[in-house]
Amino acid sequence: MAVELSVPRHRRSALAGAAAFAVPIRYLIASAFVGFCLFPFYIVITTALKNEHDIFAWPPVWRFTPTFANFYNALFVFGGQGALTFVINSIVITAFSTILSTGLGAMAAYGLARFDFAGRKHLAFWILSTRFAPPIAFIVPMYLMVQKLGLLDTRLALVLIYTSMNLSLVIWLLRGFFTDIPIEIEEAARVDGYTRLQIFRRVALPLVLPGIVTAAILSAIFSWNEFLFATILTQTRAATLPVYLSGFSNAMGLAWGPYMAVGVIAVLPIALFTLVLQKHLVRGLTFGAVR
Amino acid sequence: MSAIAFRSVSKTYPDGTPAVRDLDLTVTEGELLCILGPSGCGKSSTLRMLAGLEEISTGEITVDGRRVNDVPARLREMAMVFENYALYPHLDVLHNIAMPLVARHVARSEIERRVRQIADTLHITELLAQRPRTLSGGQRQRVALGRALIRRPRVFLMDEPLGHLEAYLRVELRSEIRRLHEERETTTVYITHDQQEASAISDRIAVMSGGRLQQVGTFLDLLDRPINRFVASFVGEWPINLLPADVVEDAGAPALRVGEQVLPVTTAQARRLAGYAGAGATFALGWRPEDLGIVDAVTPHGLPGRVLLVEPQGATCVVVIDTVVGRINAVVDSAGAPAAGAAIAIRPDQPRVHLFGSEGINLFADTEHADG
Repeated sequence: MAVELSVPRHRRSALAGAAAFAVPIRYLIASAFVGFCLFPFYIVITTALKNEHDIFAWPPVWRFTPTFANFYNALFVFGGQGALTFVINSIVITAFSTILSTGLGAMAAYGLARFDFAGRKHLAFWILSTRFAPPIAFIVPMYLMVQKLGLLDTRLALVLIYTSMNLSLVIWLLRGFFTDIPIEIEEAARVDGYTRLQIFRRVALPLVLPGIVTAAILSAIFSWNEFLFATILTQTRAATLPVYLSGFSNAMGLAWGPYMAVGVIAVLPIALFTLVLQKHLVRGLTFGAVR
Repeated sequence: MSAIAFRSVSKTYPDGTPAVRDLDLTVTEGELLCILGPSGCGKSSTLRMLAGLEEISTGEITVDGRRVNDVPARLREMAMVFENYALYPHLDVLHNIAMPLVARHVARSEIERRVRQIADTLHITELLAQRPRTLSGGQRQRVALGRALIRRPRVFLMDEPLGHLEAYLRVELRSEIRRLHEERETTTVYITHDQQEASAISDRIAVMSGGRLQQVGTFLDLLDRPINRFVASFVGEWPINLLPADVVEDAGAPALRVGEQVLPVTTAQARRLAGYAGAGATFALGWRPEDLGIVDAVTPHGLPGRVLLVEPQGATCVVVIDTVVGRINAVVDSAGAPAAGAAIAIRPDQPRVHLFGSEGINLFADTEHADG
């Protein structure tokens, strides 16, 4: 059964040549794309580390002595009020809204996945429907509500709003995860002597950990980057980093060094958070959906 | 050790499907009772109601005389083994087995000691540090058994625990379950659809079909004295032969007529047939293949036929016979087997025949030993 492939000799070597080139070409294209995406970050980071002179040098200087003066100025000195307050605001608001939306969302998702009650499907759909309208559509009623509650320019207002906006995403993401747990595992726990709440904490939650991590990362990214509500509902006391960054140029012309330093600070926490948890993120995004 | 009683228990699912109807069943203390039936017969629903995983629609279940209808599963003190093992995937074997004790706040050192002891009994000591996903099916079911055995429950519940295992593992594990039962004498309810498993493992068997309990008894009871047509067809290594028959008068006594042939009955059976002769009712005559003898074609009171096929099965063989009332299977010793094509007659072991009326009830259910 020696059937020769009927490819002419010169054609075959051409095919082999193409295969040999395919891998480097693939890497070349990928590198070009990654370089294109990361170049702005490179500029942001290097500018933040340069002194005033180097920032405006032409041709650009590739080798320079890094300085942390921009970071120091941006955080503590700049314009009489450094960025530190806003960094802290962002961290506090993101942390609380992420914990709240993930925690409450997990409980609601478990309830929707495991308890049979009238109108369960309608309730789930209604929760999702809270995200149908673009946020700007309810900025006015939201502003009035916050104002009437006396919460203008408070962190609490943003924590509450971000939590409510993240909840529907968290609930829908985690509901799929909880439904995927074989029901017998929870039944075994019931027979073994555990209460519903204990089963939720000791059996169900550990099994959907990838989902919890995914939900937390997505919530945190949203809260950290949200601009619209933050800029309308806060003035100075509770303003977050995006609000501060948007007002940067107006105040004193554009001080590129400190501006880029704040930019680095704005990217760093979420980048680190995601890097640490990314192992779970990839699993989480595919795990819940596939049945 | 506990006695269990089901009293007029019914289960209807919210969509209106009736799963169990009017079940009355008692499991005596220390007994291993198998519930046997085809899939969808209500056996799992019965077990789940007993475990507290499913609500009881009507009726009541008592354990040691105490009504448990409203007792939550976690307080019923029952241990359950599931068909798909239902181990905790995020815990290693040691913690899987320990979970029931952790729930009861048993001291750490005591938990360790008992887990090791159980692991030793089940030969899984070397697996204690592994996660369930790295184990084979047989190992998983041993761990699931360990999780049930670590407690001293009032009742063991087993829902087709060997259903997903390979044949040789089933045989091995079922004898292990029987051994453990004899050691502990804990009341056990065991669900299976495999009659060999039920026969091998149980003290008594309850046969269910269509949500109703059909008959409770030992395997031999079910085989020799099936109460109705379902039990007769469902239990038995070979399917029972069912032939149309009617009752006639023969020399002043009632007898059965199959085709043109009149077959005598025992005196105990004759008493049951009084009044049916000539009444026009038709019956299904039940002959188990292993209760049939093959004799010469000219033998009186035999049903004549022709051998179509002989299937050797080792020491015995199945003989397929064509008769005027349809095909009949007989199981006979290979030594005396007829050849294909031979004209023969079939004669049943008369005390062991069954006769099913229009409702499927066996008229001859308890006539076997009445003749003495």
